[in-house]
Amino acid sequence: MLRTEKVLQLRGQQGRSVRVVREHYLRPDVPCRSGLCRAACPRDGKLLSDDVTHYVVPDCKVVQDYLEILEFSELKGIIFMQTACQALQHQKGRRQYNKLRNLVKDARHDCAVFANEFHQHCYLPREKGESMEKWQTRNIYNAAVWYYNHCSGQMPIVMVTEDEDAIRQYGNETEGVFVISFKNYLDNFWPDLKAARELFDSILQARREREIESQENNGKEYPEHLPLEILEAGIKSGRYIQGALSVNKHRAQLEAFVRLQGFSSKETEIQSDILIYGAKARNRAIHGDVVAVELLPLHEWKGRTVALCENETEDKAPLDTTGDPMPTGKVVGIIQKNWRDYVVTFPSREESQPQGRNTQKVLVTPWDYRIPKIRISTQQAEALQDYRVVVRIDSWESTSVYPNGHFVRVLGRIGDLEGEIAAILVENSICVAPFSEIQMSEMPVSSSKNPWKVSPEEEKQRLDLRATHLIFSIDPKGCEDVDDALSVRTLPNGNLELGVHIADVTHFVAPNSYTDVEARARATTYYLADRRYDMLPSVLSADICSLLSGVDRYAVSVLWELEKESYEILRVCYNKTIIRSAYKLTYETAQALLDGDTSVVGDILELKDLDERMRQKKLAELVWAVSKLTDIARHVRAKRDSCGALELEGVEIRVQLDDKHNIHDLIPKQPLEVHETVAECMILANHWVAKKISEHFPHQALLRQHPPPRQEFFAELRECASAKGFTMDTRSNKALAESLDKANDPLDPIVNQLLRSMATHAMSNALYFSTGSCSKEEFHHYGLALEKYTHFTSPIRRYADIIVHRLLMAATLKEKKGDVKDNLLSNKDLEELCKHINNRNRAAQHAQKQSTELFQCMYFKDKTPETDERCVADGVIYSIRTNGVLVFVPRYGIKAAAYMKNKEGLVISCQGDGSCEWKPGSLQRFQNKITSTTTTGESVTLSLFDHITVKMLVQTSRCHADTIKLEIIKNAPHPTVDMDVSQRNCQRVKCDLVKAVSQSAEAAQHAQEKTRVEVIDEDFEKYCQTKGASLYQLLEEIRDLALLDVSADART
Amino acid sequence: KRGLYRKRRGLYREGLLSDDGFRLDGRRPREIRSLRMRLGLFPRADGSAYIEQGNTKVVALVYGPREVRGPRSRSAPDQAVLRCRFSLAPFSGPERRRPRGGEGRGSDLALRLQQSLEAAVLTHLYPRSQIDVYSDGSHCCTGTTAAALAVLDAGIPLRDVVCAGSAALAEGTALTDPNGAEEAAVGPGLALALLPASGLLALVQLSARVPCERLEPVMEAAADGCRELHRALDRELRRSLRERHGEV
Repeated sequence: MLRTEKVLQLRGQQGRSVRVVREHYLRPDVPCRSGLCRAACPRDGKLLSDDVTHYVVPDCKVVQDYLEILEFSELKGIIFMQTACQALQHQKGRRQYNKLRNLVKDARHDCAVFANEFHQHCYLPREKGESMEKWQTRNIYNAAVWYYNHCSGQMPIVMVTEDEDAIRQYGNETEGVFVISFKNYLDNFWPDLKAARELFDSILQARREREIESQENNGKEYPEHLPLEILEAGIKSGRYIQGALSVNKHRAQLEAFVRLQGFSSKETEIQSDILIYGAKARNRAIHGDVVAVELLPLHEWKGRTVALCENETEDKAPLDTTGDPMPTGKVVGIIQKNWRDYVVTFPSREESQPQGRNTQKVLVTPWDYRIPKIRISTQQAEALQDYRVVVRIDSWESTSVYPNGHFVRVLGRIGDLEGEIAAILVENSICVAPFSEIQMSEMPVSSSKNPWKVSPEEEKQRLDLRATHLIFSIDPKGCEDVDDALSVRTLPNGNLELGVHIADVTHFVAPNSYTDVEARARATTYYLADRRYDMLPSVLSADICSLLSGVDRYAVSVLWELEKESYEILRVCYNKTIIRSAYKLTYETAQALLDGDTSVVGDILELKDLDERMRQKKLAELVWAVSKLTDIARHVRAKRDSCGALELEGVEIRVQLDDKHNIHDLIPKQPLEVHETVAECMILANHWVAKKISEHFPHQALLRQHPPPRQEFFAELRECASAKGFTMDTRSNKALAESLDKANDPLDPIVNQLLRSMATHAMSNALYFSTGSCSKEEFHHYGLALEKYTHFTSPIRRYADIIVHRLLMAATLKEKKGDVKDNLLSNKDLEELCKHINNRNRAAQHAQKQSTELFQCMYFKDKTPETDERCVADGVIYSIRTNGVLVFVPRYGIKAAAYMKNKEGLVISCQGDGSCEWKPGSLQRFQNKITSTTTTGESVTLSLFDHITVKMLVQTSRCHADTIKLEIIKNAPHPTVDMDVSQRNCQRVKCDLVKAVSQSAEAAQHAQEKTRVEVIDEDFEKYCQTKGASLYQLLEEIRDLALLDVSADART
Repeated sequence: KRGLYRKRRGLYREGLLSDDGFRLDGRRPREIRSLRMRLGLFPRADGSAYIEQGNTKVVALVYGPREVRGPRSRSAPDQAVLRCRFSLAPFSGPERRRPRGGEGRGSDLALRLQQSLEAAVLTHLYPRSQIDVYSDGSHCCTGTTAAALAVLDAGIPLRDVVCAGSAALAEGTALTDPNGAEEAAVGPGLALALLPASGLLALVQLSARVPCERLEPVMEAAADGCRELHRALDRELRRSLRERHGEV
């Protein structure tokens, strides 16, 4: 190893320049990372593929400015020189550098890093008086030449740089090494990759605009951000507070909050959030950024809005609509920017002013209310008037009112169903491209002609339960991906054996295979209102891994031995098994069997072809098993209840599909006991697996925690409960569960439902975490009242379960411990993975909610509210505000606002016959009710939990999502047939709604295609080939003759 | 250009070990910095040694054994008293620092030095040594090694040549012999003074938080560094003696 020195000039503490000497070691054994290498470089890890036509080496500036384009997976054979990577790190910061590192680590992208600065023959020391950029370019060129020679000239190298001197100087110096500009490279080597070239133009445009702007040097709109060292020092000392910025959706221009993050300083006793009022105080921070905030003096503190409001009005809220003053502050610096891709719409023709130049600067409006308008330059503003597009933000200078960005791609027409759904996916950063070919080639083959079979090696290694156990699964109707099955039987010694069998997905998905990487990126299956995006290819999720009845399948089984009377758990074991599920039941069928209703025998397909005696015998076995299971589950549940388990809404969400792959049902509530049985068995399995893996891997296990909620979040719940005369004891989960059970109004079951819903909102979300990162007390799951919990039972649709399976296998298989352990993630990696999965789960929830709202709006949009009776329904008030109420409509599951004071200041007044009008008057708000009094003396009072009749209207918006608005029709309940039916109707109405919207969308699609086809027909008639005799025919005949080989004829 | 401290923050724990397994200066995790040493540079002192380990330059001087100066109480009846002084030159480090009064005999570093040497020097034969050190990064360890060499050069009998090395923990990998920039990011870590022939430890000092299961690898890494150092020292020592006194 040789030793040289680097001399750097850095800036020291007092701002003086400091000369620092650093060592630099050069060595000959830097791995080249190419598949073509013949010189015995180490070949572990990712290698560049050799089936490309050339390797491309981007220069420093190209990596800094055009990294987004290098991220296209079509661009292959990219060598990132260490010089370029370091330049990126120093110029653009950690976030961009991490993007590059992730790109290199990702197996789907064909790129690698070569440490040219450490290689003896590649490194060139800096010459006297040479600028940094020139030195970097010279180094990269030299490294490219070395690389070409190292691969013995097998692969030409193309270096792309924006430095024109370099192109001139090095362009023709070495044969096989080409130096061209990036634009040239894209045009010549990738002429078909239009998206890349468009992106390039857009980025270039944005950069030019920014340079022009900075030269113009307008006055400062915002105060400058403080440098990072001062911020960090300030946070340590308590002067500044660090937190994530959260903009108020309903008052996005004015209100934003900063939630405290992690360790808050001891000096500030701030327990609540901090209000950031106004754009100036927000100082260019965007929703989601991590910022540093300085508190304002006490007399400048303001209150948050408590009235209902919409974003159209820009003026300040009147005093009576704001709450008590709360801690208020201003943003002094941004610590971490969290910008993503944003869906935007162009301003309509009427709004935008005509511009003379071809490329205009346009102010586009993002779909998300919380993001400010973005300025982009594009030549396509006219053409894209009615489309939604995706943009990225580049920067927000202190001299500009709005941030600058560039256009990335087009999504779809405004109002088009596919376009709107694509917008929802982009806004939640969900990327669901179809599975790649490489990934599909990893899949095992299984078709109807050649069905997949159990292999003989696996038969020897796995426990075979096919002959000995009665196994069955209970799932919603139309479910294809069966990932769990249950069994119960009596052992020879009289005790019971309970079994939970989960599909063995990890057998087919090897760690770090393409399928694994893709599943990790998705982290979960996404369920939208009308469709589903699977985490794994359907050959696995619906066929080979799915525990269908009558076929052999691999499974991971948890078997407990229970004492026959007390059901106490005596032993547990975990095995890899082979099972053959006997029955695939639906919830309804299983419940009927429990209730003793044998008429459903006809629904059980597996019993169809048996003779009567056999059928009765099998049926009896099945009924015994289901009943026993239910009994055990009741017992387990009772034990959990005694520790304070909570029953809240939305614990497990499953989706049913019918045979046409339309979503049949969205959220099955759990009125059937058999739902509880299955859920309880799954919870038991999850709990025991959690105990096992955390015992074996105390620092590397993936568990699920539910932290107890903060008491201040329960304030609203307590108020609402007291309105109806119930008390809520929220000190522990047990107390809360009991209070919720007691808070039941026998005349109105909706009250209990609403209270439970409010309790759910007050809680934090359950999260995945790594055991090495939390202390033991934090493992607790508040909602389920369990010490340790994880997710194990759905590996087909959740990536966390796949990780838990791998951990369980490593914990239980003793022989192969060596290589299995290597595949486990370290604590740090696991923690990062948990953050990623939690993030994706949140995105999935948002996307589902937004798609449901989309369908609701589309359903109501084309109905005339005056005449259609489906637009009127019964609603229950669940919250009082100063100018209106929040209402829940059980029939459609909608929660929305109903104003009692409209924009002109008129208040609602209800007549004797129950209908309502707007009249001048005033509102008075009390604790649990609101009274509207007109100037003529009539008054109407609406209290919490009152039933009223509301009409559903759609408020359309060009740039944002449509929303549902409620209008109060009558101060009296809307007659519904009866409560139970209405609840069941809820599901059916939901799926009717979805079907109706999907059908109308399809019809619209067809109509569009038809018009297109008609146009083509017209043109075709005009321009098609003439039929019959014509000059053309004649000439064709002559041409045919000319092609005949006359000489051959002559010879014969 | 970026500020010095901003660079330190930006490097904080990340980027110390690249994905390829290279450190900031191109070394692999178990490689020590380049080493150069000379004995007997200062003819006036009884023994002297000069060591360059990377950019750390240390000069050690030994005066003795000689009569105890000052009050009789200072001298011990049965063994030599070792007095160590450790000072950092104002021009060492990235910025010129004011020479502090506190530096010298009472300082922390000097005491550590004393402890390491006392294990090695057969003090029951002689009194008094004086050692001056100049440094950049990992100076305590290099200083100890320099001191041991100087003592050797002075002809004072030693049980063994004390070799000292350090190791830091970055992202789960132990890095042997961290340089200045690495130390700034993750702290000095573990400093170890080893008597190579017997494998005994004269000094172990841990100045960072290390998880229990990582302690072993870090100590191994530091010990590796010491052994490597010893091999280089040995070569140099023989060469220098040969030069001075002909064939040994």
